[in-house]
Amino acid sequence: MKALEALFNPRSIAVFGAAHTEAKLGGTVMKNLLPMSRKASIFPINPKYGSIMGIKSLRSAAELPGRVDLAILMRPAPEVPGILRELANRASFAIIVSAGFAEAGEAGLQEEVKKAASQGGIRVVGPNCMGIFNTCSGLDTLILPPERLRRPACGNVAVTTQSGAVMSSVFESMVEGGIGTSITAHYGNAADIDESDVYEYLADDDQTSAVISYIESVRDGRRFLEKASALSLKKPLLVLKAGKGRAGQAAAFSHTGRLAGRYEVFRSVMRQFGLREAATFEELIDGAKALSYQRPKKGRSVFIITNGGGAGVLASDESARQGLQVNALPKDKLKKLKALFPPFYAIGNPLDLTAQVRDEDYQTVLNEIKDGYDGFVIIALSAVTGITEKLGGILSGFIKDAGKPAVFHTGRDAVGKQLALMAETAGIPCYPTPERCVRALGKLLE
Amino acid sequence: MLKEKIQRLIESAGGEKIILEHEAKGLLRELGLDVPRGVFIERGKKSAPAGETVFPAAVKTVSRLIKSKSGAQALRLGVRDENGLGQAIDELAGMEGALGVLVEEMVTGGIEAIAGGTMDAQFGPVVMFGLGGLFVEVFEDVAFALAPVNREGALWLVSQIKGHKILKGLRGMPPVDMDALAGAVVTVSEIIATGLVAEIDLNPVALFPDRAVVLDAKIFLP
Repeated sequence: MKALEALFNPRSIAVFGAAHTEAKLGGTVMKNLLPMSRKASIFPINPKYGSIMGIKSLRSAAELPGRVDLAILMRPAPEVPGILRELANRASFAIIVSAGFAEAGEAGLQEEVKKAASQGGIRVVGPNCMGIFNTCSGLDTLILPPERLRRPACGNVAVTTQSGAVMSSVFESMVEGGIGTSITAHYGNAADIDESDVYEYLADDDQTSAVISYIESVRDGRRFLEKASALSLKKPLLVLKAGKGRAGQAAAFSHTGRLAGRYEVFRSVMRQFGLREAATFEELIDGAKALSYQRPKKGRSVFIITNGGGAGVLASDESARQGLQVNALPKDKLKKLKALFPPFYAIGNPLDLTAQVRDEDYQTVLNEIKDGYDGFVIIALSAVTGITEKLGGILSGFIKDAGKPAVFHTGRDAVGKQLALMAETAGIPCYPTPERCVRALGKLLE
Repeated sequence: MLKEKIQRLIESAGGEKIILEHEAKGLLRELGLDVPRGVFIERGKKSAPAGETVFPAAVKTVSRLIKSKSGAQALRLGVRDENGLGQAIDELAGMEGALGVLVEEMVTGGIEAIAGGTMDAQFGPVVMFGLGGLFVEVFEDVAFALAPVNREGALWLVSQIKGHKILKGLRGMPPVDMDALAGAVVTVSEIIATGLVAEIDLNPVALFPDRAVVLDAKIFLP
């Protein structure tokens, strides 16, 4: 069994600080856990009540009938080490939601937590964290109610994050972008379990086909690289590293210590190990969407097809910035396509079908060039009458046939919205700008 | 072997945090790197032993106080004869904190690069490479790798900087000696990977078509 199996799929959960009312964190968490009660035993622990939300409440850890897979701790920070000592050898994992540890200058208290947990054989998530959201098992320890923090649907993208604030932004963007999550883990201060441990679990998690990760700092850089590399061999990992400013001290002359700002080193070693980085939050989300639809493929050459010259040029410019190659059409294809189309179509790469476009033109071109390129940026500005819903079927046929990374940009009118829906149903992710298309495609080309 | 050599330097530093330039260069020479011929003259002595000096010479103050020799005007370049050498020794050895001077054969030209190693808080020992002079001061065009690296890793690191085309020869210039450059990067990475030093800087390393010469070297102890 995997080391963290009982954390992500617990069969028994003790909730310290469980409450009656959603006005309290302990009430929200209880309510979020209720759907799990079919699969797992839930033990609210609160000496003030006989039962909470219809479940018998216990006065302390001593009343637990046996060992639990998971304990969720929401009691004030100074009580946490004591609870962990009571739980010694009676819990496999503890999610410590409570704040007031290293992040608040209480490093000593956090050390006490680590000591109590390791002596009691308990692995810890947190402190100062929201914990785990697992759409497959139904585990939801997030302390915010779903009507305020909207949860992404069940999907194939796993999220690991050091920051709860970033997690809530990621969730908003995933909900808006129609991206589903398999497992999301917010590990806060990372006193014990951190991204490296979670990577190890996710590498073998069948529900997860891509992982995105928000990182401020890693505790053991070499272990991070080892686990991230092992994960990347099985499924794509996309990392957003925050804190890109220079950490080096001011000095009048250049030396290695000054030049080694933390991010410069991080960026370099990520490249050394062939790991993917997202430059910005937007790129992280766009990349997650791309990776949730398609598997990355080898190669860097892209073909851009458009019905608007400017959009094609923007895509071409962004390709250059991303280090993607917009190679010219092979001579024979150029000749053939020129013969097929009116002289005012701009045949090349980008290829501009102009406002005179008809849906079938996309099919003609894509069929002709699909073997010559690694990835495809397809732009169909739906404000012109020649673009219809028929294009959706053409794109669907193309992606099945070509089996290569492709991204799509279209309008927001009724036809455009319908085309976007059809493209995404067929497995082609859509983006609001040509440049975002290209950056997302970059995540699919290695 | 390497650890023992570094340990000897640490002992001779007697608790100080900086290894002196001529001692650092002595280590690099032992490890097979190309270092200018030179002789250390202790403070109070007036001249180099007969026959040890090659003119034109570079004369540098050896001191634990000076961080940037050009900034502190602690070097004299292109010294042509014994007269000039005597004057340079007088001036430089008289500087505050000077332990003596290092007289070296002048090496001119070449492309200046910087190779270094440091202990990163997250990743431990890392090796750095960049082009020297303006490139590093203005553009900070440097790249890092986990240390140690082998020859292949060193060549990868060198290829990671934006200015790497300069090394391959631009505008009719011949390419630099990649073997010698890789050798310097590998050695730096091995030194930092021992964990015995806090930082090492070879800055600059002068790159030529047939050699890579370490013109200045600093080693800082933890």
